[in-house]
Amino acid sequence: MKLLEYKGKELLKSCGIHVPAHVVVNNNSYINLSFHKERYRQFFFENGNVIIKAQVIGNGRKKQGLIIDPASYEDSLKAIDTLYKKTYHNIPITTLLIERKMNVAAEYFLAIVYDTKTRTPLLLFSSEGGIEIEETAQAKGLLTYPIDPIKGLREYEARSLAKQAGIASQAMLQLASFMVKAYQCFEKYDCRILEINPILKTKDGNLYAGDAKITIDDNAVARLEVFHDVTDIEDQATMSERELEARKIDYTDHRGVAGKTYLELDGDIAVLASGGGASLTSMDAIIQAGGNPANYTEYSGNPPKEKVKRLTHITLSKPGLVGCLIIGGKANFTDIYETLSGVMEAIVEIKPKYPIVIRRAGPRDKEAFAMIREIAQKEQLDITLLGEETPMSKAAHVMVEKVHTYKQKMGIQSKNSSSIHAHTNGTVK
Amino acid sequence: MMGIILSKDTRVLVQGITGKEGSKATEEMLSYGTHVSCGVTPGKGGMNVHTLPVFDTVNEAVQYDPKLNTSVLYVPPFTVYDAAIEAIDAGIKVLVIVTENVPIKDTAKLVAYAKEHHVLVIGPSSVGVLALDIGKLGSIGGSKDQTMYTKGNVGIISKSGGMCAETAMSLTQAGIGQSTVVGIGGDVILGSTFTDLIALFEQDPETKAIVMFGEIGGTYEEQVADMVRKKECTKPIVAYISGQFAESLGRALALGHAGAIIEHGSGSAQEKKRILRAAGIHVVDYHYEIPAKVKEVLK
Repeated sequence: MKLLEYKGKELLKSCGIHVPAHVVVNNNSYINLSFHKERYRQFFFENGNVIIKAQVIGNGRKKQGLIIDPASYEDSLKAIDTLYKKTYHNIPITTLLIERKMNVAAEYFLAIVYDTKTRTPLLLFSSEGGIEIEETAQAKGLLTYPIDPIKGLREYEARSLAKQAGIASQAMLQLASFMVKAYQCFEKYDCRILEINPILKTKDGNLYAGDAKITIDDNAVARLEVFHDVTDIEDQATMSERELEARKIDYTDHRGVAGKTYLELDGDIAVLASGGGASLTSMDAIIQAGGNPANYTEYSGNPPKEKVKRLTHITLSKPGLVGCLIIGGKANFTDIYETLSGVMEAIVEIKPKYPIVIRRAGPRDKEAFAMIREIAQKEQLDITLLGEETPMSKAAHVMVEKVHTYKQKMGIQSKNSSSIHAHTNGTVK
Repeated sequence: MMGIILSKDTRVLVQGITGKEGSKATEEMLSYGTHVSCGVTPGKGGMNVHTLPVFDTVNEAVQYDPKLNTSVLYVPPFTVYDAAIEAIDAGIKVLVIVTENVPIKDTAKLVAYAKEHHVLVIGPSSVGVLALDIGKLGSIGGSKDQTMYTKGNVGIISKSGGMCAETAMSLTQAGIGQSTVVGIGGDVILGSTFTDLIALFEQDPETKAIVMFGEIGGTYEEQVADMVRKKECTKPIVAYISGQFAESLGRALALGHAGAIIEHGSGSAQEKKRILRAAGIHVVDYHYEIPAKVKEVLK
């Protein structure tokens, strides 16, 4: 779960890190109401000067004009209106963080992530923070420090780090304490990534979090009550209707996984894959065969047929489909009859005209195939059944060929301008 | 009878044995001839599962069978950390964590703890370990009546559990058997990585070649290239990297600069393949090309 800046700063503050004085405003609830307007007016004049920041998940706000430094109170009101009219990657801007503008003497960069080399949390620090950090960090050297996850980050370790970064005396102690608090926040809230860029060092020598980019471990959210009301609000902004629907399948039924990873793409071949590795392999195979997937999704862990049926309905509801590939490796324990029954119940209701290719093997696969053959004949569906004798990548080829024939028959133009297709074209043999 | 993780001395404890998956896996492991001794589920001590005794604590299990050396974990995600530490403190030397969705913080801590205590951890999210003539640990290979796996000289290491079976089956269909098959899981922090297991396969007289099924993200695949370059592995390795499609998704909005800085642009399928090839590893572009490539390197 990725947190908006203001949410991230709430966490940092709760761990003792200073954040600039601020108000959070929302265009549904705030600026139109005279009460809040008055509150904002007071905030502005108490602080003298403010920075207005659109709350979006992602990078490059400054370059896109989503952070405004207004010259006067009147300007700030205009800026608020301007920001509400803007979008970020087609997502409307609804929330603004208005902060006191600080007197900045220096900017630092701090991040804590998990590192696959040391298999521990890794702290990254640079005494030159700011938006060009990727370039400056590479050029001027970035301090990295693996943290023992059992011991945590000790003050003495943080002091040596600060010293290594060329920060001495009282400032060193202050920075060390800031680092330790940041790690405590990372630990306490099960963060995957915690980045503060910049840390603002004010002219009077205090340290503030100037930004906060925090990702919470999705696997830990269930034990962190503080996030239970957050998920929906922020996910909605970045997801399509079908993606949201697909997420709901797992919310209500915890047996197996279906729909958690549904992702809409701009192709025209629907994909219902089983298993993480198999689904990635199949997607690669479709693209390598010259096909264009309409979505990515997978179900696994032996889900009941109701869940698979719902996922099939959502996947096949996308307009403009020309084929459907139902694919998976040979299952270790997923009941093929159960899951394919779910798929077929949805297909019978939808009655697609386009070709369907099924490549599946595992427990009860023969019964499943007999059931599908019967339904296909009765409902006059174009279904190709492939078992373990056909490699998955070959099955993807069969799908793409059948789609090609179907498109010719129906007089559908092939679109090959999709970014996915173009990107991987170079690797097709 | 030797394998890289399983041996004739392997004696297994199942943590979470009374759950649906734990109980099913226990039955399957027994069907393969695996020496499963007993199980642990706190609060369910005194029960029996497939005639095996169930204990409340790992210490009680070790008292019952002092030769216990391996534990397979089927406990819920938030209890994995505690269960793993309990097993390590009781002297268990090999942990296979099948549980998925374990918080990364818990994994990092337990991996660090295991390292201090010289304990081998496979997983989390591992489908298991299989060495056909000895047995299996975890869900891998279902019941003994399967036809996917055959005994032979090729070791398989796979991030994907499902693709363990698919990869082994493609080899079996080509007449190539497997020595030990290991699902290492696809989590960010792994108990055992490709290099950890390649080091074991390097010492294993039964293994003549290694197949690795990698995925985009992280640096575990790249670490193999370093290892081969340092001549720490002399056996031929055939590699397949999946997930190339995901790189072209503009949708995955990067958050922050930390990822970009630390990864230096590595982690992509193309980059992984390039690095592995440069080190002399046999990389195939299509999964179905694996058996032919293995045959070629075994010549």
